[in-house]
Amino acid sequence: MALRAKPAISWLVAIAVMAALPHWLNAYWLHILATSWYYAILAVSWALLAGFAGQFSFAHMAFAAIGGYTSGLLAVDLHLPVPLGILCGVASAALVGAAIGWLCLRLRGPYLSLFTLAFALILQLIIIAEYQFTRGSLGLSVPGLFGGNSDLPYYYAGFVLVLASLAIMGALLRSRVGLFLRALREDEDAAEASAIDTSYYRILVFTITSAFAGLAGGYYGHYVGILSPNIVTIPEMGLVVAMAVVGGIENLPGAAIGAIFVFVASEALRSGGQLRFVALGLVIMLTQRFAQNGLVVLAAARLARATRRRAPSPKTATG
Amino acid sequence: MTSYFVLQVLNGLVTGLIYALIAAGLTIIFSVLKIVNFGHGALYMIGGYAGYYAIHLLGVPPLFAVLVAMAATFVLGVIFERLMLAPLYTNKVDRKDEYATIVTFALFMLLENAAIVSFGPFNKRPPSFTDASLHVGMLTITGDRLVAAGMAALLLIGLSLFMQRTSLGQALDAVSQNRDAAAIIGIDAKRMFTTAFGLGAALAGGAGALIAPIFTLSPSMGDLPSVQAYIIVVLGGMGSVPGSIIGGMLLGIVEALGVGYYPDPNRALAYSNAFGALLLIITLLVRPTGLFGRAHVRME
Repeated sequence: MALRAKPAISWLVAIAVMAALPHWLNAYWLHILATSWYYAILAVSWALLAGFAGQFSFAHMAFAAIGGYTSGLLAVDLHLPVPLGILCGVASAALVGAAIGWLCLRLRGPYLSLFTLAFALILQLIIIAEYQFTRGSLGLSVPGLFGGNSDLPYYYAGFVLVLASLAIMGALLRSRVGLFLRALREDEDAAEASAIDTSYYRILVFTITSAFAGLAGGYYGHYVGILSPNIVTIPEMGLVVAMAVVGGIENLPGAAIGAIFVFVASEALRSGGQLRFVALGLVIMLTQRFAQNGLVVLAAARLARATRRRAPSPKTATG
Repeated sequence: MTSYFVLQVLNGLVTGLIYALIAAGLTIIFSVLKIVNFGHGALYMIGGYAGYYAIHLLGVPPLFAVLVAMAATFVLGVIFERLMLAPLYTNKVDRKDEYATIVTFALFMLLENAAIVSFGPFNKRPPSFTDASLHVGMLTITGDRLVAAGMAALLLIGLSLFMQRTSLGQALDAVSQNRDAAAIIGIDAKRMFTTAFGLGAALAGGAGALIAPIFTLSPSMGDLPSVQAYIIVVLGGMGSVPGSIIGGMLLGIVEALGVGYYPDPNRALAYSNAFGALLLIITLLVRPTGLFGRAHVRME
C-alpha cells in the first residue's frame, strides 16, 4: 500500500514544486528552465530509443530542426496558426523518421547510428546552403506561440509538454510494445522466434521518438523566436547524450531530471567556456563506466535507502 | 573538357586514398572489437595537430612528422582502449553495444573540445611536404597532394602486407573471424583488441597528419571525414579492409565528380557530402552487406 502510494506522492510533490517555482525565479533562470524543457523532451525520447530499443540516433537534433523549421516556415510563409504548425512539424519529423528507420532498421547492426550521423551533418549543410528558404546561418525569425514578452506561459506550456511526453512514452513502455522492445533487446533471435516482427517495432519506436524530437523543436523555435542551423550541431547532440546518460538511459523520468540538471549546470558554469564540454565528455565516460544506470537513478536509490532506513524506527526519527 | 574530368578524377583519388586510410583504421577496429569507434574523427584531428607540433616544437621534417603523429595517436588509442574499452571483455559493464557507442562518442566530445581549449579554434597550417607540383598538359596537381596520396598508398599497401604476411596480422584476422576459435589456438584476444584499437587510431592519426598541409588544421576537421569513413565502411562491407580501401577511392571520385559537375557551384561544395550519403542510401537499398561484405557478429 505505502509502497504503491510513494511514487504517486513524489510525482505530485515534484509537479507542485515545479509549478510553484517561477514565483521565486528571476527572469534569467525562468528562461533557462523554460529552455531546459526542450532538452528534457529530447533526452527522454533519446533515452527511450537508446535505452529501451538499443538503437542510437545521432540525428535527434536534426529531427528537432525538422520539427522547428517545418513549423516556423509554415508560420512565416503561409501564416499558419502556430499550434497547427507544430503539429505539422511533428508529422514531418515522424515521416522522415519512418523513412530513415525503414532504410536502416530492417538490417541488424549499427546502420542507424552511422546513417543518422551522416544525415545530421547533411541536414545542417542543407539548412545553411538553402538560405533563400531558411535564411541560412542568419537564422529564421519565427512568431511566438504566445503574445507578450513574458516567459511564464512558455514555462508552463513546456512543463505540460514534458509531462505529457513522459506520460505517453511511459504508457508506450507499459504496453505490449514495451514488452516486445525488452524482448528484442535482450535476445533478438528469441524474439523473432516468438513471432515478433522485430524490425517493425524498431522502426515504430524510432518514428515515435523522432516525432517527439520534432515536438521539442517546434516548442523551442516558437519560444526562442529564432531558428538557426546551430541546433543541429554535434556539440548539441553531445549535450543531449550527456543528459540522458547522467539521468539514466533506462529511466525516462531520470533522463528528464538529467536534462534539467545538466542544462542548468552548464548555464551556471558558462564562464568555463569550452572546458564544460571537455568535462561533459569525461562525465559521460565515468558515468557509463561506474554508474551505468545513471547518476540521477543512483542518487534516487541512495535517497530511498536512506529514508527507508530511517523511517521504520521512531527512535532515530525523533532523535 | 576531358582534361577537367581527368583532373577531377585525380583529385578524387587523392582524397579517396586519405578516406581509405581513415576507413581502414575504422574497419580494423570494427572487425576485431565489433564496435564502431565514434571517436575516430577526433583521433584523425589529434594526428593532424601532433604532426604540426612535431614540426614546430621538435623540428621534425614534415614527412617524418607523419610517423610521429601515428605514434602519438597509437599511444592515445591504446590508453583509451585499456581504460574505457577493456571493461567490455571482462563483463564489468552491461549492454555492451550501447556502452561502446556512448564512450567512443564521449571520446570524440572530449578530444574535440580539449583541442579547442588547448590549440585554439583558429585554423593552423603546417609547412608543405614539397613546393613542387606536377604539370600534365594544362593540369596542375600540387606536390602536397601527390605526397599525401603516395604516403597513403604506401601505408595501405603496408597494412595489407601486415595483415596477410605477418603472424600478428593473421592473429588479428583470426580474432575478427572467430574469437573462441582464436582463443583455442592460443591467441590472446585481449592483446589483439588493444593492438587493433591502437593500429586503427594510428591510421586515423597518420591520415590527419597527411591531409594537414592541404586542408589546414582545425578542431572540427575530423567531423566530415569521419562521416565519410562511416559511409565507406558500410559501402565496403562492414569489416572488410580491401572493401574499405576500394570504397574510399570510389567515394573520393564520386565526390570530386559530383562537386565538379554540380550545376550551381555555390552549393556544390556544401552538397559534396550529400553525394556520399546518396551512395550510402543506394548501398543500403541495393546491397546492404556492401561491396565485399562478410557476415559479422555482434559484441558478445
